[in-house]
Amino acid sequence: MATTDSDSATASQRLDKDTREKLVTVVRHTILLTWSFIVLFPLYWLASMSLKPPGTANSLPPDWIFLPTVYNYIQLIQDSGFVAAFANSLVMVSASVVLVLLIGVPAAYVLSRYDIPMERDVLVWILSSRMLPPIAVVLPFFIIFRELNLFDTRVGMVLMYVSINLSLVVWVMKAFFDGIPETLEEAARVDGATQFQGFRKVVLPAAKPGIFSVAIISFIFAWIELLFGLVLTSFEAVPVTLFVYSFIGSRSIEWGMLAAASTAMIVPVVIFLIAVNKYLAAGLSFGVVIKE
Amino acid sequence: MAKITIDDVTKRFGEGDESIVAVDDVSLDIRDGEFIVFVGPSGSGKSTLMRIVAGLETQTEGDIHIGDDLVNQLGPRARDIAMVFQNYALYPNMTVEENMSFGLKMSTDMSADEIEEAVTSAAEMMDIDMLLDDKPGELSGGQQQRVALGRAIVRDPNVFLMDEPLSNLDAKLRAEMRTEINRLQNDLDVTTLYVTHDQTEAMTMGDRLVVLNYGELQQVGTPLECFYRPANQFVAGFLGSPSMNFFEGKVEGGTLRADGFDFDLTERMQSAVGSRNELVLGIRPEDMTLHDRANSGHEFEAVVDVVEPMGSISYVYLQARSQSHDQTFIVETDGQRPISEGQHVYVEIPDRDVHLFDAASGETIHQRQLGDDAEMALEEQIKPAE
Repeated sequence: MATTDSDSATASQRLDKDTREKLVTVVRHTILLTWSFIVLFPLYWLASMSLKPPGTANSLPPDWIFLPTVYNYIQLIQDSGFVAAFANSLVMVSASVVLVLLIGVPAAYVLSRYDIPMERDVLVWILSSRMLPPIAVVLPFFIIFRELNLFDTRVGMVLMYVSINLSLVVWVMKAFFDGIPETLEEAARVDGATQFQGFRKVVLPAAKPGIFSVAIISFIFAWIELLFGLVLTSFEAVPVTLFVYSFIGSRSIEWGMLAAASTAMIVPVVIFLIAVNKYLAAGLSFGVVIKE
Repeated sequence: MAKITIDDVTKRFGEGDESIVAVDDVSLDIRDGEFIVFVGPSGSGKSTLMRIVAGLETQTEGDIHIGDDLVNQLGPRARDIAMVFQNYALYPNMTVEENMSFGLKMSTDMSADEIEEAVTSAAEMMDIDMLLDDKPGELSGGQQQRVALGRAIVRDPNVFLMDEPLSNLDAKLRAEMRTEINRLQNDLDVTTLYVTHDQTEAMTMGDRLVVLNYGELQQVGTPLECFYRPANQFVAGFLGSPSMNFFEGKVEGGTLRADGFDFDLTERMQSAVGSRNELVLGIRPEDMTLHDRANSGHEFEAVVDVVEPMGSISYVYLQARSQSHDQTFIVETDGQRPISEGQHVYVEIPDRDVHLFDAASGETIHQRQLGDDAEMALEEQIKPAE
């Protein structure tokens, strides 16, 4: 009798354990689904707004069921101003990312590998370029740009974007290079490589995840920049953010167009992300926390 | 293949008063094809000395010759050396094959076919030919170690440099690789410098040991020479596991009054000691014997502190009965001998196994005696080294 009792007790305990595990799974999924909904709903809202016919975009209560139309997108593509601004941004931001990597990555490597006098101070000095809120420096920038004939030029905007991202690239990449053992380069030198070959053929490929991470982050920061574009451009070098902003008029807001332009803006970032995705995971897990 | 000459090499890090001497005026002749082990505790300068030979560090003073060439001004790439690093330093983005061929691509004008052939044969030698397409990240520690060795071998260099290559492996694998590296070095007959802090590796691997401490050369000699004929107290204590026991004492008449016991110096010892007053007596744990009761009157009484049974032998930590401070010494006994903590035993120190060191300088003033055969064998070993 005693054995049967203990057997059934164990069985019921096991059942309890199974139920408990199921319950935990259900709760976990519910939380994750709720969170996904919270995160994705605004994006859905934006996309659905862009597909609604004019006039109904912000009607209340919202039309949950509607006939989607690409009217807004056709309007957008036919607007030469939008196409120009979009192309502007694509060219300026891409150029700035290439340039910021060309300057920032070697700088980070040197700071990581060589005994630089006052290295700490140099690093903080580089970071200090981002310590003031942008609004505090935008007017001085305006004056400098006007004096140097950079106002409303694409070159000027590229330099602007570089200045925004350079400190990030240097700091993150320095931490990344610090994590790559120096013996790798020593092995390369013993193997007959010059110091530069060691950097190019051994260190740089090992640093790829970090480089792609800072590239995508730099791209995003420059792509969504509005304030400097607003003050430092007028016609030639207008970035796409500024164009999107222009749908918010003084009297009315063109909700449908605004939503369509915003949705279109997300596309390049997503494409870039998908392209470099496989390098990204390793890069972001390097223990460097990035905050804007 | 080449001989290496190290001439009065000194390396200082930093400048002025804050400078640290990592290598202090070391001179050394390494013969062609010889397996030399640099051994010492951390901070002894052994790695720095090897890095100077590699060209990864530049000496502050002195000359390095590899073969007949003065290489002071040459970078590592011009020295025709291959190096195995402690962390293996495999290129993470390259496959095993690319790792192994990188050096040949960089430093020779061999054709792609020749390189492939060289890599394949080295890979077969190291038993890694089935790993050639893998990335280092996919390999186990032991496999990475073999790739690192393979990468060095394929270069067919003048000199192999190995910087603690086995220290990241587990004990069993380490013992295996020790034998393997010995075999490789014998087969290839390439001059090899090997850095380790592990005295077992040092004893079992090298043709000759170079014992370093605080950047200073302590002794150069065959492993057995350094073991049985240590130049000073540091070498005596560093080689051998567990370490040699040391007892400080003062000479009174013909007797050494050590802390815990008196030891009667033999005539040979007395003449070696001369007028010195303070001595250190050294004796290895395996040379002392334990008795249950006093036999000859030469023994002294001690209390068992801890017993470490190793199986066939036991290490017994003892404290002399009349010892003033908490210092223990170790005696090796038969593993089958019943012995327990707190037990009183009588310790015998045989005259013939005793080393005497000068307490101030640490210099050896009296070496232990060896059996006639062992003495002759040791002489034979030492002779070609002179």
